[in-house]
Formats: sequence, C-alpha cells, structure tokens
Amino acid sequence: MKSNNNRGVMRHMSFTLLASTMMVSLGAAHAQGVSDDMLVNAAKESNNWRMVGRDYDSTRHSPLGKINTSNVKRMVPKWSFSFGVLDAQNTTPLVHDGVMYVTASHGRTFAVDARSGKMIWQYNHPLPEEVGKAMCCDIGNRGAALYGDKVFVSTPDAHVVALDMKSGKKLWDVTLGEYEKNYTMTVAPLVVKGKVIVGMSGAEYPTRLFIEALDAETGKQVWRRYTIPAPGEFGSDTWGSDPDNLKFGGASAWITGSYDPALNLVYWGTGNPNPDWDGVGREGDNLYSNSTLALDADTGEIKFYFQYTPFDVWDFDGVNEHILANIGGKKVWLHGDRNGFLYSIDRTNGKFIYGKEISKVNWATGFTPEGRPIVNPEKVPSYTYEAKDICPASEGGKWWNPMAYNPKNEMVFIPSREICTDIMSAKGTREEGKPHWGIGSIKWNKGHGQLVAFDAKSGEKKWTVVAPSPFMSGVMTTAGGLLFAGTPEGEFKAYDQMSGKELWSYQTGSGIVGSPISFSIDGKQYVAVPSGFGGWTGWATIGGGGAPQLKDSRKGGYVTVFGLFDE
Amino acid sequence: MTTKRSVFRPAIAALVSGALALVATQTAGQAVKNPFDGDATAAAEGKQIYLKNGCYACHGHEAEGAVGPDLTDDEWIFAPSDKMIFNTIAKGRKGTVMSPFAGQMTPDEIWKVVEFLRDKNRQRNAK
Repeated sequence: MKSNNNRGVMRHMSFTLLASTMMVSLGAAHAQGVSDDMLVNAAKESNNWRMVGRDYDSTRHSPLGKINTSNVKRMVPKWSFSFGVLDAQNTTPLVHDGVMYVTASHGRTFAVDARSGKMIWQYNHPLPEEVGKAMCCDIGNRGAALYGDKVFVSTPDAHVVALDMKSGKKLWDVTLGEYEKNYTMTVAPLVVKGKVIVGMSGAEYPTRLFIEALDAETGKQVWRRYTIPAPGEFGSDTWGSDPDNLKFGGASAWITGSYDPALNLVYWGTGNPNPDWDGVGREGDNLYSNSTLALDADTGEIKFYFQYTPFDVWDFDGVNEHILANIGGKKVWLHGDRNGFLYSIDRTNGKFIYGKEISKVNWATGFTPEGRPIVNPEKVPSYTYEAKDICPASEGGKWWNPMAYNPKNEMVFIPSREICTDIMSAKGTREEGKPHWGIGSIKWNKGHGQLVAFDAKSGEKKWTVVAPSPFMSGVMTTAGGLLFAGTPEGEFKAYDQMSGKELWSYQTGSGIVGSPISFSIDGKQYVAVPSGFGGWTGWATIGGGGAPQLKDSRKGGYVTVFGLFDE
Repeated sequence: MTTKRSVFRPAIAALVSGALALVATQTAGQAVKNPFDGDATAAAEGKQIYLKNGCYACHGHEAEGAVGPDLTDDEWIFAPSDKMIFNTIAKGRKGTVMSPFAGQMTPDEIWKVVEFLRDKNRQRNAK
C-alpha cells in the first residue's frame, strides 16, 4: 500500500512538473525583458501597460482609441480570471508583450496570457498566520513592477520579492521590516534606472516608516529615506517635546511615486503622523508627514518637499499619487489629497500654484500664499471637544484610489466622495505591535460618491457625476474619449470624458477597489479591471456610517478583460 | 524503504500530535461553556480587552464592523455559537484577515471578549 501511495505521489509530482514545464514554455513564448527605454518612453507607446501609473508621469491615460465613445456599447467581456482569494483586490494589472502580471490579496502574483486568460504561472508568498492583525486595512496589494527579466512585488509581511518573468521562480527575497511591529507593505514598486523603489505601510501603529531603493539585480539596499527625521536633522524639532515621537511617528509611504527623468527626481507621498487623531504631545508640523518628497533618484536625498496637512489630527494621510503634467509651460505635479483639495505644485521647486476643493472642505478656510492651509479651529477635535461635521472625513475628498489625467485635453478625473465626520480624540496607549489611533469617538455621517472632472490648468471644476456610494476604484482615461471607473457595488462603467455622461456599464460580481488598464494585442484593444471588495471600510459603517449600504458587501477576487463584441 | 519510512515517521508523528491538539482544543471548546454568560462586569472587561488588543482596528470600537464584519448583529457568519466565537478569536480563520489571538490573550480574556460581543448583541436586539 505504501508503495502504491508513493507511486501516486510520484505520479502527481510528475504531472505537476509537466504542468509547470508547460507553463514555463508558454511563458517563455511571450515574455521578453523590460528596458529603461521602455519605461521612460511608456507614454509614447500604446500597446502595453508596464507600470501601475502606466508611465513615469502616472497619468493612467491610455493612448489607445479603438474603443471610443461611439462604439463602447459594443464592449463585452472576453475572459475572466479568479485569484482564488478574497479581500481587497487593490491591484493595477500590468501587461507586457501579451502577458498580464497581476497581484492579488494574500500575497499572490500571477502571470496570465492576456489573449486568453490562461494562467502561465503563479507565485504564492508564504504568509505568517498572524500577518492579518499587523495590517490596519486588509491584506491587499497594489500591483507589481517590471524590469529586465524580473517581476517585483512587495508583500504584507514587508518583503520585496523578485520573480523570474518567464517562470515565476523566486530570484531574491529581502525583508525590509518586522511585520510583528506593523512594518507591512501593500505598495506597487517603482523601478528607476535599475533600482526598485518601495514604501512602507504602518502609520496606524507606533512605527518610523521609510522609502527604500533596492538594486534590481540583487535586492541589496541602495538607499533608505526615513520619512521622519532623526534627532538633530532638519524637521526633528517639529514633533513636540516627546523625543519618542521621532521613533514612532508613522508617516507611511504606501502609494507608488512618480519620476521625472529630466530632473532625476522621484516624487513620493507620505502619510499621517501617529497617533492618527490625537495631536497632544506632537505639537508642530510633524515633518515629513502628509508631504510630497522630491527625492534624488540616485541617493534618496530630499531635494525639497511640500506639506499638505501640517499637524494632522484628522488622519488625512497625504500619501496619494502625483501626476506629472506640463501645463502652460510649467512643469507641475497634480495631487488630489484626502484633505479635500486638488493641488497643482511646481515640480522643479515645490512651490504652491493652487489648491481647489474636490469635495466640501470646512477644516480649512483657505491657504496662505505658500499653500499652507488656514485651519478652522471649530474642526479640531480634542479630549474634551467633539468636533462635529468635519469635511471631508479621513478618506477625502479623494481617497488613495488613483486619479487619471488626459494630456491632450489637460483634464484630470478624480474618484471622490462627499462624507463628513464627527471626532473626539483621546489619549491612547503607545505600545509596539498594537494599533495607536488616539480616538475617543468617531462617527462617519452618511454621504455619497462622486466623480469629478477638473481643468488641470485653471483648477476649474468641469463636471461632477453623483453616485450613491463613493468611487473606490482607480480611474483611467483613453484616447477614445472615455473615462473608466468602478463602483463598490461592482459595476464597471465608461463615461464620456467631456460631459461625464455614462455610456456603458458591466457588473463584475464584486466591488471594484483596484484600477483599470487598457492594452492592445494584434491590433485589438482590451480593457481590464480587477474586482474584489475589501480594504479599510470603517468609514462606510462606523457610527451610522458614510455609506451603510456597503455593510457586509460581497467579496471576490477576479480580473475581467473586455474587448469589442465583433473583434 | 528505510528512507521512505524515515520520511513518513515525522509526518505520522505530526499528524498524531496535530490530531491530539485538535481534540484538546475541541474538548476545551465543547466542555467549557462561556463561564461569563450574562456577567455584565465580564462584558465590560471584555470591551477593554477588545480595545487593548487592537480588535477595533478591524471591527470598530463598538464591534460594528469595518474591515472585518459587524460582530453585534444576528447575521455574523450565520449566528455563531459561543464556542465558534471563542475558537475564531483563539485560532483565527484561515484564508481571511482574521488572525489567531491565542498567543496574546488568555482563555479567560477571550471568553470575556465573547461576553462583550454577546452583550452588544443583546443590547442591539433590545432596541
């Protein structure tokens, strides 16, 4: 019996090996390397989607226009692919040379034939059983990066892993922090000149977070930039009198940065100071929380910075992405912040150009000429004062889900919401490995979702589409005049960029909290979107909730690819 | 053959010890009813334990649900028994974000959290 069983095991192993070999062969037929030139010139090339922001400018604009406002009604699903796991599917898929590289929740990465949806390989990162409780906001991942013959992913337990593009075999695996102390990762890496740049999550816990560049070949550290200065460094005197604030002040970096090759600057956002809602003991600007850091790509040196929300007691977590645009002869970055404002900032020097309301804003009454917000004292919570109806709530404005920019019409499109909150802060206990929010009570008040279009040059709002629930997906524009966005109810929608008119919709089966892409193979344009509800959803339900209809939303884990019916 | 046996021995040993551990856990779960059933003081302590251990980060300060489900309603994963709640807290739920807490909470502390959740459910239903 034993020997029969063993034979069975051997047969199974042979089959597995054969299957793996077939998968490897299929992969080898498709995958070729990704060069620096491909990344630098991504915006000029239409067939692929090789980094999460599509190009170093993070426009999320596809130059493809075969699917357009006239024919999008004929768009139908071509294939779908199950990740086999639930929870937040926060990813942006990538496509290179006919192969889709897509990450999923719970540490999974897949290579899939982008024509057929057939799996080529999968990588399941072995996760510690306890990692879920080390993360504030679900166990998702925001996407991979491609460079040379490798695929790079970060993992919930704070590893960065390099996989062979053809086989999915692990080539190197480095650990950047102790997940037990809440150093975790969800970020999609950004590759710049052979360096894999990532940022850490964990500012809901006592942590000191950082952005790090690794050598793409070896995984060795090239530089690390802490987002909180060390004692004595510039900004270290902005954290109040408690020296431990410099060790435990958070300031995460979990959204992928952008890169300007001409300036050799990486623009990377930083998140909230810890504790999120209690400022007692950290009086000051809390540098470099809630800022954009302009970093020398080679050294990680901070060349300049812009801070959106100094001394944050609302968890405005200014980590969001930067769209690099050249508007009216000016090199700017556009940034939709959770504090409710759309910013345009000169990206050569960090000087403020404008800040415009995406949603209702009442925590600030305006800006100084330098762009510093003028705080409304009625909206500052304390241990004895519940600040009511603070707008926006912690998720914005614009939450983390990326916006898109069409360089042709210079319009920027923002997934947004109108939800406000009541907050009373409280003294929490700072203990490594445990959440530290500084919250006495918090209630999110019922609101609604919206998509908002702006003229990026003037900051003028062009149109708003109102929806029952906040838009929790990233969005994408195309040269076909379309804007794609997803709802937390699972509907994937196409709108006319100019008017906001809805042109097409498809129910994907679960809430969309990831981002769409478009690619082309053999002259046929495809659109892909991940779906699978999850992530931080306390805003939807706590204290009445900003969108109580989303309570117990159905989970899922798919990517669905669409094309024109008759192609 | 010797090699094969040596491969199987640790596997069998692991299976046996795993089965024993399972039996032990089940026995504890089955034999011990919630020792704090209806105890308002234990429920209040349970809330403090719930907050101290960071359960609120996923389930909200009042267990009303956030990343994780609402733990106060009648629907929560098909109206679980006290034993199921105990085991979920102690051992987590594989394939979900719910991690095991047995390493950082004593059985009594877990039962008090169970009582806190039961108390929240009773309060909700009384409204």
